[in-house]
Amino acid sequence: MKELDLLKKDWKKNENSFQQVSENDIYKMIHKNSSSVVRLIMIIGIIEFLFWIGISLFSNNDEYFQKLNMDNILLYMRILTYAHYAIIVTFIYLFYKNYIVISTTDSTKILMKNILKTRRTVNIYVWYNLGMIIFSLILGFMLAYFYNPDFALVKEKIEHDGIKAILFFIGIVIAIVGVFTVVSWLFYKLLYGFLMKKLYKNYEELKKIDL
Amino acid sequence: MSQDLEKSFVKQLKENQNIIHKICRLYTSGDDAHNDLFQEITIQLWKAYPKFRGDSKFTTWAYRVALNTAITLYRKSTRSISTMEFDNTKHFIKQEDYNYEEEEQIKLMYKAVYQLNDIEKALIFMYLEDKDYEEISETLGISEVNARVKMNRIKGKLKKILNP
Repeated sequence: MKELDLLKKDWKKNENSFQQVSENDIYKMIHKNSSSVVRLIMIIGIIEFLFWIGISLFSNNDEYFQKLNMDNILLYMRILTYAHYAIIVTFIYLFYKNYIVISTTDSTKILMKNILKTRRTVNIYVWYNLGMIIFSLILGFMLAYFYNPDFALVKEKIEHDGIKAILFFIGIVIAIVGVFTVVSWLFYKLLYGFLMKKLYKNYEELKKIDL
Repeated sequence: MSQDLEKSFVKQLKENQNIIHKICRLYTSGDDAHNDLFQEITIQLWKAYPKFRGDSKFTTWAYRVALNTAITLYRKSTRSISTMEFDNTKHFIKQEDYNYEEEEQIKLMYKAVYQLNDIEKALIFMYLEDKDYEEISETLGISEVNARVKMNRIKGKLKKILNP
């Protein structure tokens, strides 16, 4: 291609036409913070971990169950809670492991793959937490229904109205869970759509070449 | 120790800074964006420097990190076709060997290259830098055969942009 050769000639001719950066400027630059997508993903990932750990710490149900005199259930709940913490620790370990693998000296494709993997770990972690919330809500509602004396009124209503009332309460639970999920999903779509649009696009483009 | 490392890095980077400038020229428009990307590439090079053992050439290593930063780590979108980019080519025209028709063609070529996507730009960049297909395929992580095929497609695309 004739024009490309012409461009190459011009490109080489102007190789040294750039305004040079001094050693002093380079010193200053290397002490600044990166604004790369990897750093942002790490920061957001840590915030997400802390957020969900905070939520699980605050939702301590021991007192509630003690009040209801449900010591046998308390044991199960404790086991569940410790399992939950173990899973969180596993996620943090995976996130850290994926993060340190990211290296700019890999090929572009591998680098992109590793970044996406890190991101996916946090995504799964968040969906796991959402799943736990849904599970806890349903479980909590069922336990309350069967054991909590405050729910006597609800029970009475269900017995009186039958299937209609049951559907009504299930509907409320689904609505709460639904709103929560949709809001989280939107938040994610916006945040990561904005953050990783370019990366996804370039990754797809690169994958297409090797198809 | 770490100060020695810093010193040798700054020295090598200063000597080879044109590699980064060239990538910035291809991937950004305007001085601010150029300097912004230059800084990010410098930071990434510095972060990766302890792993650089000198068994490959500094430049080969720097090409890879710099391209990866421009394509992958740098968040700001690098594709916007504006008059700014077109003006970018202005100062590359030198008076002494002025050939109107040739210069006009070069200008149009730059403009066409700016319309390519990030990956295509990377291939063109390495072509302009006389990199062979082996290095292109290793840098991007695609097969050598497919790098060739892609390069031919890009040439076709450039032709199309030049002669719509």
